[in-house]
Amino acid sequence: MAGIELLSDQGYRLDGRKATELRKVQARMGVFGQADGSAYLEQGNTKVLAVVYGPHEVRGARSKILYDRAVINCQYSMATFSTAERKRRPHGDRKSSEMSLHLKQTFEAAVLTQLYPRSQIDIYVKILQADGGNYSACVNAATLAVIDAGIPMRDYVCACTAGFVDDTPLADLCHAEESGGGTSLAVALLPRGGQIALLQMDARLHQDHLDTLMEAAMTACKGVSKVLDEVVRQHLQEMSILTGE
Amino acid sequence: MATVQVSEAEKLYVLHGVRDDLRVDGRGCEDYRHVEVETDVVSNTDGSAKVSLGHTNVLVGVKAEIGKPKPMVPDEGYLEFFVDCSANATPEFEGRGGEGLGIELSNTLVKVFSNKHCLDLKSLCISPGENCWVLYVDVLLLQCDGNLFDAISMAIKAALFNTKIPKVHICEDEDGGKEIELSDDPYDCVRVNVENIPCIVTLCKIGHRHVVDATLQEKACSVASLLISVTHTGMVTCVRKVGGGSLDPESIFEMTETGKRVGKALHAPLMELLQKEESLGSKRQKVGFLG
Amino acid sequence: MPVDRRRIRGPDESQSPYHFISKESQKCLASGDRRSDDSQRGPLDIRPIFARCGLNSQAKGSAYIEAGNTKIICSVYGPRETERKDETDMKSGRLVADMRFAPFACHKRGAWVQGNEEKDLSLGLLESLRPGVCLHKYPRSQIDVCVMVLESDGPALSHAVTCASLALADAGIEMYDMVLGCTVRHTGTTQLLDPTFSEVQDDQDGVFVENQGSVTLSLMPNMNQVSGLQSDGVMEQESLKAAVQACIEGCYKLYPVIQHTLLKTVRKNAPPSEN
Repeated sequence: MAGIELLSDQGYRLDGRKATELRKVQARMGVFGQADGSAYLEQGNTKVLAVVYGPHEVRGARSKILYDRAVINCQYSMATFSTAERKRRPHGDRKSSEMSLHLKQTFEAAVLTQLYPRSQIDIYVKILQADGGNYSACVNAATLAVIDAGIPMRDYVCACTAGFVDDTPLADLCHAEESGGGTSLAVALLPRGGQIALLQMDARLHQDHLDTLMEAAMTACKGVSKVLDEVVRQHLQEMSILTGE
Repeated sequence: MATVQVSEAEKLYVLHGVRDDLRVDGRGCEDYRHVEVETDVVSNTDGSAKVSLGHTNVLVGVKAEIGKPKPMVPDEGYLEFFVDCSANATPEFEGRGGEGLGIELSNTLVKVFSNKHCLDLKSLCISPGENCWVLYVDVLLLQCDGNLFDAISMAIKAALFNTKIPKVHICEDEDGGKEIELSDDPYDCVRVNVENIPCIVTLCKIGHRHVVDATLQEKACSVASLLISVTHTGMVTCVRKVGGGSLDPESIFEMTETGKRVGKALHAPLMELLQKEESLGSKRQKVGFLG
Repeated sequence: MPVDRRRIRGPDESQSPYHFISKESQKCLASGDRRSDDSQRGPLDIRPIFARCGLNSQAKGSAYIEAGNTKIICSVYGPRETERKDETDMKSGRLVADMRFAPFACHKRGAWVQGNEEKDLSLGLLESLRPGVCLHKYPRSQIDVCVMVLESDGPALSHAVTCASLALADAGIEMYDMVLGCTVRHTGTTQLLDPTFSEVQDDQDGVFVENQGSVTLSLMPNMNQVSGLQSDGVMEQESLKAAVQACIEGCYKLYPVIQHTLLKTVRKNAPPSEN
């Protein structure tokens, strides 16, 4: 590893976490009044806003309409001030387009799109502050926003990253760990069925380690799902008190 | 949403209400909606602020970078504005849809700040003709419910108040080359004097009267609006008529007068709030979007 | 217009020598209350204006205006079918304004592609013109106004508005009224109507002058309605009010000239009478 020691001899990471420990996840649903669904999520120092509009009529080209299910439309963008170095454009670059595509694929696997033929669901995510695990934070925030919009899903989609250092899998990488150049595996999981909605890995990893790494990422995803479930339950409780039921 | 459709009956209802100084949400003609300001919400920036004005929500981040001063003014730094109309606000802004509005807003901000009175640009100079601080003011629209200008100007003032520019030392090596050294101590920083930064007041002409802080619904009922940027002493730094309609000279004079009065009154509570928040220091419970 | 890639462009860092002229040589008020430019006009006089309609035979209507060294040409195309089909509001027509500076118009060479400042001016032009045009008479159609500033000496927006409304009239577009533009430069206690480039420069480098700014206003003279207003600089509200009034008066001074031009055009275009 380049210079910095990602895992100390005592088994602690740069920010003092244990190898399998997640960062603190805090979230809130229904942040905005105008959107159909919205959520804000902090995963450590990564902060994401997700907004859902729809299901509504398909906008723009009529050729986009699918007659048996809904079109899912995603846009991933990063605030120009979200990274340490200022970004010149919030979206439209290759990386954002790729992220948008990944999000779209993830949610096509999770949302019950066949219930809304000929319609469209917009999911917009915005990174306000980036500190590693952007994709997973976006997926988690978007899940909450979709639930807030009342769109049925097969299950929560929970995503988490995992890395591999000194033969030990590390869960939920932060920016410093991600930029070290080591392996990073991102999984989006439907935890109850154990189905994987998206799996992505870059850099090199020995085949023998893949299973342990996958296992670590999936455990982390299940951890995230518990937190998300808690947030949803609390939100519903608050709402039901407000509506007086 | 960037615009709403309003029926004729709704228009008449709003119009009659404004005539009697009672607006749809119960406000008078010169009242603002509930304003919330919080600074230091994004730690990757040198200064940031989040302002919500009713349903309108904006986030401003300020980043200081070292750049080259403009040749016409070698001893001054400068500001760069960028407004990102994100798709979060409305699906219409998806892709390049928000670009037009973004350019319009940032151009107006440039006009509002294009005078020597607002900000002491000389304090941003590091070494004349060679290096200066460039403050990138990035505005992010998160939700639009009318009156974007006022919310943005308040957020910019708050974010610049919160901005901490690290101190730099210029040291010369043997060959006479200059090197810029950033101070290691995060508390060793320069603050920006925001006293003279103006607040924008947008007045919408509805019927024969004008209202402050119009919602989207009210904006749809008005023919034209006038935006006025006012400093705390009551100096006007920019006036602009926006919207498709026209105004008669008398109402322009009335509107500038109201704008000046309202704008001047806006500064004191804002500064008081910012100072109070500042004095709490690190003890302050950060709410952000979780509140 | 695309950038001409074959053109050998100057170095990125080049600067115009005009920037480094000492400010001493530029004085606003030469002596007494006469101004320093050729016309020897007083502070509240506009520059002599030359205006003509119908230069561009390809366009539906066109106009050319010359005020001192500021030279502006404008062409109007349409009404024609609108380009955007998904527009929800089809009941009234769409006015599109595009204002550009020729690369050689200012001291500093400009680019062919439209910059942010030109976009801002286009928006100002559009908002000034729109109240004057009877757009409801042109449902489902679009009217294009293209303004090219050939030479710029002082704020160009006010003259662009006047020129564009002449061109609209020449094109036979129905309008409620002509739209006239005027600019005032306010410094301290003096007001200069229709300022030149050297008059709008920030005076005396280093010395900050309180209460200094420019106001650009568009007026529909018959209806006494202000269709556009922009100001910059730092001004007290009282000075702003005075400047707006000066602008309105300036517009009324301009009105007979524009009326005369229009009449001349109509006479020229009218078929010769029978007897």
